[in-house]
Amino acid sequence: MEKEVDSYRYVSRLTGRIIRSWTKDGPPADFPWTPLEKPLAECTVALISSAGIALHTDQPFDQEGERQNPWWGDPSYRRIPQDTTEKEVGIYHLHVNPRYALQDLNCMMPLQRLQELAEQGEIGRAAPTHYSMMGYILRPETLLQETAPAMIADLQSEDVDVVVLVPV
Amino acid sequence: MSTIVLTPIPVFTAWAGAPRMAAIGYPLGLPFGMPGDPAWQMSILRATLQALVDIDRPGGTVHLPFEWPAELAEVDTEPPEPPPIVGALIRRPWQFRRLLAGDIPE
Repeated sequence: MEKEVDSYRYVSRLTGRIIRSWTKDGPPADFPWTPLEKPLAECTVALISSAGIALHTDQPFDQEGERQNPWWGDPSYRRIPQDTTEKEVGIYHLHVNPRYALQDLNCMMPLQRLQELAEQGEIGRAAPTHYSMMGYILRPETLLQETAPAMIADLQSEDVDVVVLVPV
Repeated sequence: MSTIVLTPIPVFTAWAGAPRMAAIGYPLGLPFGMPGDPAWQMSILRATLQALVDIDRPGGTVHLPFEWPAELAEVDTEPPEPPPIVGALIRRPWQFRRLLAGDIPE
């Protein structure tokens, strides 16, 4: 029998109280569902990280805005090409320690490992583009109404079949 | 598109309505382990994708069998500066009640 992961083991007491309060009514009655229609070996796979990863050539996530208004988080997203390495990105998220991903991006966004799975034939291909947003967003309206649809359109334009979302 | 969330907080991810979850008992910010360990990263990515294949009902969860190494128990996952919300709540502690209620100011 599988051992259940303890959701509260690695969160602060304060964060634990917030999670307990927000989730007290439990999960929704209905979950969205898209079946996997073909073997992984034929699928295009993309990653989405909430670590606030942005290319040095791109606009950083707005950390100053959050410092000015701690109830606000930048709801935008960034495209991360498949061959990106830690040398080409910054991590713009005020709630995580960026040092590990800046040593090796694969410990937050395993782009090289995904490419290796493609080369070994375990997935069809790694998507040409992956995505990052910044996960501290207390008011999700813009994220849901603008950012998510734009990301979905980008994913569909590259015929992505499978998305692995990685909150941090 | 079929999706799966690799989550260290499955109770929260389920509450958000994720269709499939691979739960992992790892510290926040280190979903694929420590830097410089491709085999470790690959084992978690592979297990997550297998969970996506195996989950056959909406809202299903696979609890991945990875334990965070005891010798890394003290790994520093704190951000370089305290998150701004911490300072805001110290200055206005009564707002914590609003946060608990999900009543977020504009």
